[in-house]
Amino acid sequence: MPDFQFEGLADFLAMGGDALFVWSSYFVFALFIGWNLIQPRLQRRKIIKLLQARMQREAGLQQPMSGQASRIAG
Amino acid sequence: MLQWLYKLGSPRHFYEMTTGFIPWLSGITFFLLIVGVVWGLAFSPPDYQMGDNYRIIYIHVPTAIGAMGAFMMLACMAAMYMIWNLKMADMVARSIVPLGAWLCVLCLLTGSLWGKPTWGTYWIWDARLTSTLILLFIYVGMMALRNAYDSETAGAKAASVLALVGVINVVIIYKSVEWWNTLHQGASELSASDVGTNPPEIWIPAFFTGFAVIGLFFLMLILRTRNEILRSEQRTQWVQDLLKQELEEVATDA
Repeated sequence: MPDFQFEGLADFLAMGGDALFVWSSYFVFALFIGWNLIQPRLQRRKIIKLLQARMQREAGLQQPMSGQASRIAG
Repeated sequence: MLQWLYKLGSPRHFYEMTTGFIPWLSGITFFLLIVGVVWGLAFSPPDYQMGDNYRIIYIHVPTAIGAMGAFMMLACMAAMYMIWNLKMADMVARSIVPLGAWLCVLCLLTGSLWGKPTWGTYWIWDARLTSTLILLFIYVGMMALRNAYDSETAGAKAASVLALVGVINVVIIYKSVEWWNTLHQGASELSASDVGTNPPEIWIPAFFTGFAVIGLFFLMLILRTRNEILRSEQRTQWVQDLLKQELEEVATDA
C-alpha cells in the first residue's frame, strides 16, 4: 500500500500550491457525476407521473362514471 | 452472445434487462471511482516535474478518451439506425449526445486547469485543443439540429448524418499530436510503455478512474435510454402494465 503523500490535512488541501487548479477540476467532475445520475431519475419520475395521469384520465373516459365523480359531473 | 445483442435491439428487452443491471454497475463503478480518486489525490507520489497539479490528469485523460469513444459509439448507432432503421439505436444515440458534450466540457476544462500551471496558459489554438473544441461544437450542434425538425424521424436522420460525418474530427483529434507539431504532448506519461520511467503508483490510479468513467458513462447512458424508451413506447401494453404496477406500489407504500 502506498503512503499518504502529504503532511496533514492543510498540506493535502494546498496541493503543493496548485489547490485552485486541482480542486476545481475535481469539483466539476463531481458536478458531472451528480447531475447526470440525478437528473435522469427525476426525469423518469416526471414521465411516469405524466403517463399515469393520462392513463387514469383515459380509463375514466372509457368507463361510465361512478359514485362521487358522476355526482360532481352532474 | 449474438442473441443477447439482438435482444438489446428490442426496447422492452433493453428496459427489462437493465433493471437488474443498474445496481451492479453502480456498485462496481463507485468502487473504482473511490479507489481511483483517493489513490490519485492522496497516495500517488508527486511528479518530479509537475508537482501535484498532474493529479488533474486522472480526470482529464479518461474524460478525453470518453468524449471521443462516445462519439464513435454515437456514429455506430447512427449507422445502425440508417442501415436497419433500428429505432433502439436512435434512442441510444439521442442519449449519448448530452453525455458526450459533458465529457468534452470536462476534458477541455480540466485540460485548461492543468495547462495554466504547467504550460503557463489556459488556452492555446493548438491542433488537439482546437479539434476537441470542434467536437464539443458538433455535440451541441447535433442537439440543436435534432430539435430544429418538427418531425422526429427527420431530426433523427439529420443527426445521424452529422454523427457519421463527424467521425473525421475524432480521427483528427486522435492523430493531431502526430500530424502537427502541437504543444499538447502525445500519450506518454500514463501509458504502459512508460512503466520504466514512472513508478506504477503514478499510473495505476488512472486505470481505476478510467474504468470508473466508462462505468459512469454506461450507467448514465442506460438511465437516459430507459427514459427515451418509456417515452416512445408509452402506448404499448408492457409500459401500461409497468405504469399500473408502479401506481399500485405507491398505493401500498402510502
